[in-house]
Amino acid sequence: MKHFCSTLLTACALLLTTTVVLAHHSDAMFDHEQVRELSGTVKEFQFTNPHAWIQLSVTDAKGKVVEWSLEWGSPNQLGRQGIRPSTFAPGTALTIRANPMKDGTPGGAFIGARFSDGKTIGRWD
Amino acid sequence: MNHSIGRLVVTKPTVRVMRKFLDMQCSFGWSIRLTSAVLLALMQLPVQAATPTQAATPDWSGVWAMQGGTVFDLATQTGKGGTTTPGVREHPPYNKEYEAKYQANLALRDQGILPDPNSLCGIPTGFPRILNLPDVYEFAVTPQQVWIIAENGPNVMRIYTDGRQHPAPADRWPTHTGDSVGHWEGDTLVFDTVSLHSSENGRTMVDRTGLMLSDAAHVVSRMHINKAGLMEVQMTLEDAKALTAPWVVTKQFKQQEKGARVYDYACNENNRNPVDPKTGWTYTIGPDGRIIDQPAAKK
Repeated sequence: MKHFCSTLLTACALLLTTTVVLAHHSDAMFDHEQVRELSGTVKEFQFTNPHAWIQLSVTDAKGKVVEWSLEWGSPNQLGRQGIRPSTFAPGTALTIRANPMKDGTPGGAFIGARFSDGKTIGRWD
Repeated sequence: MNHSIGRLVVTKPTVRVMRKFLDMQCSFGWSIRLTSAVLLALMQLPVQAATPTQAATPDWSGVWAMQGGTVFDLATQTGKGGTTTPGVREHPPYNKEYEAKYQANLALRDQGILPDPNSLCGIPTGFPRILNLPDVYEFAVTPQQVWIIAENGPNVMRIYTDGRQHPAPADRWPTHTGDSVGHWEGDTLVFDTVSLHSSENGRTMVDRTGLMLSDAAHVVSRMHINKAGLMEVQMTLEDAKALTAPWVVTKQFKQQEKGARVYDYACNENNRNPVDPKTGWTYTIGPDGRIIDQPAAKK
């Protein structure tokens, strides 16, 4: 399902914290007081240093497909937590929660994901 | 300030020879008794093996992760801008000049534009920040040398325990991890570090809040596994140019599950957050390789 859910979960924002550990750069580009919920399909999972990135294809209200860049922790940290390069296989439909970028560009800091079978990864409470 | 840990080294074999000598000369006159007194006094000195055997060094194997956040000064973790009142909690005892510099850095940190050299991918983290990193650590111990190996970076620090001393001042120069020499006191590694880069020239920064030290920094560290099983490093930092008193900071590391692995960390493998070293701006690169955000929106 490729529809865009631009739900702004402000009420939940304070209950969630990002799992991204930004070791070597500022995270000032992210709005940590907002949580955005995005439904789409995985285009690519970059399991790379210094941070992993999930490229998510999301169809907006006008039917346009927008590619979101969602930043996560280092693959080393994630690997020790059980995450693998295959965890987000291309074409997988899922919903991701992220702290969006302040300037409105399609990017954010990954918080958690829920797959169509209900399985969740990261923080989803 | 004496940067040397040099002292009289009385090894265990030497003590054994002394004891035999004392056993042989007990029936001689006062001069011999004086000699005995001197030898007995020497025997009261700490017995330090110049280079211990592998069996005499502790087992620090395994994979360890630092506990707590990557902020060196816990006081700065409180609120936006942190607790910036001098003397509060672990706030470093800066002199007026360095307190002003630190406050200026904190203000930049709050705007997300602190030009932290650690953000540039490729510059070593340096000491003491090497003991303040995310990801995991290994502590490799041999009789002659200890290596602190941080996955993040990666960063490596060498501590010589073979009895050598620091090079003479004319024969050393500032580096990121400086020059460290140490010895064992039981299962505690005590090491002395000098010749560190100053934070002044932008080459290094003590943590991501902008803590600074000068090229006069001198650190004595005590490192051991505490009763709770945590690797604990207590660093006593002195800096005649920046601090008005010694600043003591303790970092702890928890051993990870058996079999945990350490991986490569290649900061430039896919660094999609380049930092402008002049402005401190952190950009974000999109899927097409182009910058997708605008600095003005980061405020």
